[in-house]
Amino acid sequence: MNGTRDTSKMAPADPGGLDRREAARLLAETEREARRQFNLSPQWINVVMGAVILVAYGSLWLSTRGQHPYTGPSLGVVALVYAAVAVAFAVAVKVYRRATAGVSGPALLQQQAEGVAILVSFVLGSPVLQGAARHYGASDGIVYGVIPAAAPLIIVGTTALGIAASKADWLQFGAALAVVIAGVVAAFVGPSGAWLAAGIGLFIAVVGYGAVDARRPRRVTLGA
Amino acid sequence: MTADALDPVIHAPVRLRILATLAALPDGSSLSFTRLQDMLELTPGNLITHLRKLEDAGYVTSQKTGNGVASRTAVALTHRGRAALDTYAEALRDLLDGLPAVQ
Repeated sequence: MNGTRDTSKMAPADPGGLDRREAARLLAETEREARRQFNLSPQWINVVMGAVILVAYGSLWLSTRGQHPYTGPSLGVVALVYAAVAVAFAVAVKVYRRATAGVSGPALLQQQAEGVAILVSFVLGSPVLQGAARHYGASDGIVYGVIPAAAPLIIVGTTALGIAASKADWLQFGAALAVVIAGVVAAFVGPSGAWLAAGIGLFIAVVGYGAVDARRPRRVTLGA
Repeated sequence: MTADALDPVIHAPVRLRILATLAALPDGSSLSFTRLQDMLELTPGNLITHLRKLEDAGYVTSQKTGNGVASRTAVALTHRGRAALDTYAEALRDLLDGLPAVQ
């Protein structure tokens, strides 16, 4: 193969009557459409998650800003945050079920196991630490501020960090590391500031991951 | 290189789309017959016909589980099928490089 190919010797019509350009277009379009349909984290879901993070953490920060002594977010804000998390979870489950409908195999099982690991670390991590801190007489600022803001990011982020490292997915690794760093920062900026630091860090990690992922080169057969 | 270099088993619109769709899944994954049919908007008979040709060439495998209404057929790309699609795409790219641009 060199740059001086004699195109005059090529058959004008390809076997089966499929034009070469048409075949290339069909291949590229089908690959693109299939990837779109199998995609577990489409761009719009990163935008939705970013909005949920801003609303939830922003409300928690606004609700607790200037409290002396710190008493924690109001019940109304807590209800709003739970509702936002429930909506985000439902949207994520719907996207996951649609993308993986009819798909089976070891890669899917691995994804499900990763999801369970993330969920367990999210659900169990912070409440256990909060309970222990309350048991040993920690202040409201620690139990209802610093721990619930910082601990989930550190625990879930570390879990995601391990998963990303095992798959050599360095973009996911970077996003997980950003989440852990946000959690560490949140742990040292006071109970109210913790919500702000956690929210900003998580927002940057999620939206940044989505933006870079959209530009990440994929294995596309024709590169079209 | 001539158009004859294109694998005739793959160089047909429906079979090309079947392989490209299955190739979008991770290695070792399979897709249900019904999802594949939905994605490609084909009739069951048409899809079966083309899958049979791809199976005969060793490019895909299909596995049926269950009985009656609960039966499910899963279709997967083989390593040979993935390699054949890569070779086909490479040949297509070479052919296109030698063609004048479309106006």
